[in-house]
Amino acid sequence: MSAVAAAAGFPVRWEGVRFGYTGDDVLHDVSLAIGAGESVALVGPNGAGKTTLTRMLMGLVRPRVGRASVGDWDAATQRPHVMARRVGYAFQHADQQLFARTVADDVAFGPQRLGIGTDQVSAVLQELGLSDVAGRHPYDLPAPLRKLVSLAGVFAMRPGVLVLDEPTTGFDRDLRARVVGALRRRTEAGATIIAISHDLAFVRAVAAREVVLEQGRVVADRRVVG
Amino acid sequence: MIGYVAGDSPLHRAHPYTPLAWAGALLLVAFAVSTPAAIGSVVLAAVATAAVGRVVPSVMRPALLLALPTWGLLLVLHGVLGPDPRVALGPLSLSQPGLARALVLGGRITAILFAFLTVLATVSPPRLVEAMTARGVPFGRIYLLVSTLTLVPRMRSRAALILEAQQCRGLRLGGSPPARLRALGPLVLPLVLGALAEVDEQVLALDARGVTSGARRTPLAPPPDRAGERALRWVLGLLVVAAYAAKFAGHGL
Amino acid sequence: MKPIVRLRGGSFTYPGAPAPALHGLDLELRRGEVTAVTGPIGAGATTLLLVAAGFAPRLTGGTLAGERESLAVRPGIVFATPWTQLTGLCHTVRAEVAFGPASHGRPREQVLAVADRVMGQAQVDHLADRDPHTLSGGELQRVIIASALALEPDLLVLDDPAAELDPAAADALYALLREVAEAGAAVLVATPDVERAARVATRALRLEQGRVVKDGPPSEVLA
Repeated sequence: MSAVAAAAGFPVRWEGVRFGYTGDDVLHDVSLAIGAGESVALVGPNGAGKTTLTRMLMGLVRPRVGRASVGDWDAATQRPHVMARRVGYAFQHADQQLFARTVADDVAFGPQRLGIGTDQVSAVLQELGLSDVAGRHPYDLPAPLRKLVSLAGVFAMRPGVLVLDEPTTGFDRDLRARVVGALRRRTEAGATIIAISHDLAFVRAVAAREVVLEQGRVVADRRVVG
Repeated sequence: MIGYVAGDSPLHRAHPYTPLAWAGALLLVAFAVSTPAAIGSVVLAAVATAAVGRVVPSVMRPALLLALPTWGLLLVLHGVLGPDPRVALGPLSLSQPGLARALVLGGRITAILFAFLTVLATVSPPRLVEAMTARGVPFGRIYLLVSTLTLVPRMRSRAALILEAQQCRGLRLGGSPPARLRALGPLVLPLVLGALAEVDEQVLALDARGVTSGARRTPLAPPPDRAGERALRWVLGLLVVAAYAAKFAGHGL
Repeated sequence: MKPIVRLRGGSFTYPGAPAPALHGLDLELRRGEVTAVTGPIGAGATTLLLVAAGFAPRLTGGTLAGERESLAVRPGIVFATPWTQLTGLCHTVRAEVAFGPASHGRPREQVLAVADRVMGQAQVDHLADRDPHTLSGGELQRVIIASALALEPDLLVLDDPAAELDPAAADALYALLREVAEAGAAVLVATPDVERAARVATRALRLEQGRVVKDGPPSEVLA
């Protein structure tokens, strides 16, 4: 079975969003629209607000002013486990979520929670070159492979929108190529992709559009020159 | 909330050994007294300390959450199931000596909880490290104590991240008791496994920073230890001795 | 120049492991050199760092066979994940950076002077009074690097040190590694970022399955 089930993408929109954790705002009046099936990289220096912006799509943070939506869903009105039906969010640090006895069990966790069946799991593992370690405990693997396992877990949920926070940290060319291949296939299948990344080679390989954030504001929005 | 709460109260500004000595003295005196009235005074002293530290709101909730189940158990074990004579309290018939015992035991736990949660809330761990370093305490002991004191806040912030990650994988919180039980695995296991996975790197990093060098660490900003505070700690020690002397002489409260 | 660390026919096996993580290792590290180590996941690059710096087998357990000579090396180590390297005992960046020299019992004024100097080198001087736990991953990693530099190490080993950094900070970090080597230390850096490593390394090694398969100029090994 193909690893990529048809995952219709959703448009994603931030409208006049303002947000601060304490006191000062970290996002200032951000408006950004991403079409269904688009592949966009969010780039900018550390502390620019990229992660905060994407966390809004899961309802993990709520804008003080403005709105963040995925299709017709206002993310501020939904709980994260509900947003997970549309958005697959790959956190920057894999160890936050790995817990099962085997890699395969961990990758199956998300699909099981969503009730969408686990028939995708072995296909995704094969796609990312993790079949050989499917029966191993995630914590027996080196950190880059644990991160790849966490990405597999998100892919297996077949989301219409994929949000990836620094997906290639610590990856060599080979691992990066596996992720690039997986994302390209999902773009072809119509998924919307939003990737936060410092990895310029990855951005060029995956994204058609690049949005630059600095100090909580969009300062550039341009086509990626491959 | 369990853990340090930044502030500028007299407790925050005191040398870290002073609130620790106070909490220790309170704990020892709590075990020296054996009447409800006396333990009530100890509880009041503990709550008053939290008020001096301006941390009553932070400390009250965890103290009561931890103490109330114990109170319930004690009232059943001693109050309901205790010996005669009995006293009527509404529809309940409670053992008089049992009730007194429950009040003393429950009061002890409450006083200790308030005292130590107040210490956790007002003694800054880095300041405690500096105070202990200035006294020449070996680093291993400092690390053991401070790591234990900061364990709950560290685990709590890690747990919050794990909770988010699992919810984003579709884990629904709440629901029936079996559902809540099933949700524990994905929440607790990464907490423990992740913490264990980091231990190796932390050991290497600390070793590389010279903690096993054998040299006496240089304190960089030791908190001042005024004569008045040192005298207070001595007085607290004497108070504890007096309380136990009275207890063993049969004049205990 | 005499190497500060020399390994001859080295092999290292972790406790309970069925096979060595490193074998047939011949390596010399000299002051003034930046040696880049690359290779696929699980090839043994991290283990090589630990063996070279003397942390393995002393802290990891396991068995080191072959010869390891070192000239009273003072090692500094930087991992990819900064938050595991925080002491957890310091409430300012300055205190965190000063932790190492303070542990060696150096006088207070010296400790603070060294801390200020390396904070400047690592471009975290503007964060000196911040709580390390409030910093972003990239800022924190620069603090960790400053903390390692504060020890004035003879040998600085780094495992993918720029993983958490944005491109500008990553460039600055690798440039700093060259400066550290030129100031007299030996630098050994394991990294998948072959482009940046190639700009500053004076030598490169490629590991595969625990064995050095290439050893030579970066232009050949890292291509």
